[in-house]
Amino acid sequence: MLDVHLLKLLPYGINATCEHLIPQFLNSSILIYCLTLIGRPLIKLSTMNVLLIEINPFASATTPISLGYIAAYLKSNGFGVKILAVGEDMSLSCSNFHELINTFKPALIGLTAYQRTMLYVKGFAGLIKSIDNNIKIIIGGPQATFMPSSGFTELADINYICRSSGEMTVLSVAQAIKNGTPFSNLSGVSYKDSDGAVYDTPELEGFTDLDQYPSAYLNDVFDYSHMSEAIMLTSRGCPHHCIYCYTPQAFKHKITFHSVDRVIEEIKWINKKGIKRLWFADPNISFKMERVIELLDRILSENLKFEMWMQTRADLVTPELMKKMKNAGVKTIAFGLESASEQVLTRLGKHLALDKVVQAIRMAQQQEIEVELFTIFGLPYETFDDAVKTLEFVKENKVKIMGNTNSQQMQIYFGTHLAGHYKDYNIRPLNTDRPAYISIGSQYETEYMKSSDFHKIQNMWRANSLDGGKRIVS
Amino acid sequence: MFKTAIHKIYVIFGKQDNGNLEQLSRTLSGLFSYVNTTSNLYLVAGNLSESMPQVERIQKDVIKFLKKNLFARLYLHFVHTVPQTTVKGIDYYFQYYYQYLKRETRTFDQEGYIYQEVPRFMLLPVIVPDNRIEPASLITLLDRLKGAFMLPCLYLDKSVFFLTQDKDLMSSTEKLYYGNDDSKEPAEIACNMFNGDLLDDSLEMLTSEDRFIPGPCRASLIISAQDGKVYTCLDAFRKNESLTDIYESSNVDTLMTLYYEHDRSKRDCLGCRGRAAESFADLPISQGRKQQIGALLCHFGTLHHEAGDDIQAVKKYELSLKLSPAQEAGHINFRLGLSYKMTGHYNQALEAFNSAELTYADQYYFHFYKGLCYFAMGNYSTAIEKFSDALRLKPQKEDMVRILIYKGTCFNNIGDYEQAVVALEKAGETAGHMKEIYNALGFSYFQLKNYDKSIKNLNAAVEIDPYSAVDYASLGSNYREKGDFDKAIVMYEKALALDPDMIPARENIERLHRKSERFAKVSKRK
Repeated sequence: MLDVHLLKLLPYGINATCEHLIPQFLNSSILIYCLTLIGRPLIKLSTMNVLLIEINPFASATTPISLGYIAAYLKSNGFGVKILAVGEDMSLSCSNFHELINTFKPALIGLTAYQRTMLYVKGFAGLIKSIDNNIKIIIGGPQATFMPSSGFTELADINYICRSSGEMTVLSVAQAIKNGTPFSNLSGVSYKDSDGAVYDTPELEGFTDLDQYPSAYLNDVFDYSHMSEAIMLTSRGCPHHCIYCYTPQAFKHKITFHSVDRVIEEIKWINKKGIKRLWFADPNISFKMERVIELLDRILSENLKFEMWMQTRADLVTPELMKKMKNAGVKTIAFGLESASEQVLTRLGKHLALDKVVQAIRMAQQQEIEVELFTIFGLPYETFDDAVKTLEFVKENKVKIMGNTNSQQMQIYFGTHLAGHYKDYNIRPLNTDRPAYISIGSQYETEYMKSSDFHKIQNMWRANSLDGGKRIVS
Repeated sequence: MFKTAIHKIYVIFGKQDNGNLEQLSRTLSGLFSYVNTTSNLYLVAGNLSESMPQVERIQKDVIKFLKKNLFARLYLHFVHTVPQTTVKGIDYYFQYYYQYLKRETRTFDQEGYIYQEVPRFMLLPVIVPDNRIEPASLITLLDRLKGAFMLPCLYLDKSVFFLTQDKDLMSSTEKLYYGNDDSKEPAEIACNMFNGDLLDDSLEMLTSEDRFIPGPCRASLIISAQDGKVYTCLDAFRKNESLTDIYESSNVDTLMTLYYEHDRSKRDCLGCRGRAAESFADLPISQGRKQQIGALLCHFGTLHHEAGDDIQAVKKYELSLKLSPAQEAGHINFRLGLSYKMTGHYNQALEAFNSAELTYADQYYFHFYKGLCYFAMGNYSTAIEKFSDALRLKPQKEDMVRILIYKGTCFNNIGDYEQAVVALEKAGETAGHMKEIYNALGFSYFQLKNYDKSIKNLNAAVEIDPYSAVDYASLGSNYREKGDFDKAIVMYEKALALDPDMIPARENIERLHRKSERFAKVSKRK
């Protein structure tokens, strides 16, 4: 719906001509129509549009839940928003991307950045600027939050990096663009001026009560026509200190929640849309035991029939919880094991006893819930024998090696404790010439394992894998 | 949301297309704007040395496009024969051609290393070996290609199927393509490769979708470099229905406008997918793969059956039976029986049904369909047995009525009108008002000379369907037998009015008029 404002509402004088206004506002994609109504000039403005893009050319597109939240927040603040999830099964060419930009006319485009998609982020940013150099581009996500300024400098087509709460930060940038002052009064971002100098702005605190964020589902920001599984995010953050993980740092070791009422409301909506599978992306769904029990009870009492996937820590489950999960429709539960070597686990900051993992697996298996174990090799202090021990542990405990149970080499991402202290753990990066916006990732060797050892253990996992080693969650 | 992006382009080289290389290159470069962010380009050549200028030029175009568009990935499948058979001869291929092609793509390997991903540009050579080749020589080439970070594939025609027995060769091969003849013509190779991808696509959809309705294949273009003709899919290529000619009209945007205007969903997609699956039936592929194809063909058979094309359905089921595991035979035979029945091949239908007996013996509809075959063959006594078997298994109400009507009709046909009445009255009790039942009962009672009951049923029939000429004629016959000639004539006339070609009604009217006249004369004399 188009908003209609009288000219006097704009920060220009009543005598400002449209010729004067148009170039200013075309930059922010606000369409201006000069109308004459009863002899008085009237300005008709459309909402400013924001396009949010998630790229994963290596897998089928999933529900981009984080972009969904940002979209819902922007929408509730009067912006027009579109989400584009580019997956391997999507049909997208340069030509139809051009068409999208030229018809939707976004003033701001947000791209989710992961280590493995940085090249694509760069590529799309370049294409966008070649179509319309006035469109502003912001990147966010795991690769962006803690990206060093030197990396940002190298990304010529990117104007902003989202450093704080995605919803609030993107809104602040969108509002600045809408006001015609794209680099003033910003928070939560780093930005580059026209000379390429990088500036950091003050941090933005997100809501501690997640219900204050409008729902991506209830605000209907997703296209359901190809959605077979809805991703739920009922809590954010993690209070633990695992040295290889980005999440605790990104959320300052805090965990925030949605109310059970809100989650149930969303599930009912999803149910109406005909979706029958839910994938809970919460790092530890049972962090608050009474909350997850209440959630499962409500799913049962409201007769909501779903097949569900959940993940949590192995020391946060009980036989009663497992029974309830089974009754409510949880088909698979994933635990983070990482390593089956006690000496490695101790040094990861994970603080998880192996016997707890064994017990959790048994509890799930007794309820005939499929178990997935997240494991990684190439950890600090891990020897080749330790890595083999992890594989043996998974086999001994009769966990099927497929999907997420396929192991992968540890990745060293920006923002993790390891990224800042890798030398302390005797980790040697292999490629010192990488661009500054690319973190070490998997290009390293440890004190005890070389690249050839990583290949060897990877092949051992593949040889035992039921599906050739394709992992779902990276 | 978007217009479909092109996922695959097949370029088929001929012997005399060098002169048009400039135009071909321009067209492909233009088409890159319309390809999917991840796409495949197949260059199908006969002789490598003859096609090398085209391949080099097109590779340069691809590299130019990818360097400009960092979000794009393209896999270049370069298909060609290898007439050499010795290790030395094959090594020459690698040194002379592939080293050169690979050198141009190194920057993408480096880029992949930096970004820790599979390179955006990959060369996947598809070797078409000669039947004199030694597997060891081929392994040498494949291993050298792999060592240079190219993923080697093999295209095996019938003359070289023996190579599949070599485990080392198979493990060195990234992907196998098959040709079900021994042609090494580029056009034939391209079709067979297209078939293979189409089969993969169909099998994937069969697994992932609850009810897979075959639609158009992934958006593709087939370009014949020899004459410049462009085809939208394999079906169009096989039927020589080209979209345009790039050597006559060079504008890519016009080409793509034509492509989007061309409604691919109106092509024979089911037929094309079916042929692709059929073409794999006799290939040296794994048992598991054959069974998957068997399941796919059975599904296609059912779709043909539902579309009323039972001749095609029979073909698919027959082949499915050959490929599927023994435990599926009952299900496939049952469907095969249904399609044979629909095509009027009742003996074959009964044979298929008999093979499904173990799986379907406790299903009433199975006995009903067998009964229908006997009914159609005029073997009413056996049909009655089968319908009785079906009724014993307590069919659903609607089906029970249908079975009882058939059973009653069988009794009518063998002259056991008493039993016919029993079956038909029961059908009537279950179904309520149904024209078919009243009609059949009218016939039975007429035969039993119970004209009043016959008239009652036939009146009920015409009440439901006032345009039923045959029921009016039957009413006429009942009145005739009762001696009420006037009413009989009225009924026959109604029948004739509705169906002027009903000769028995006309004859009866004439006969009854003559009788009436004679009767009148006799009465007058008296």
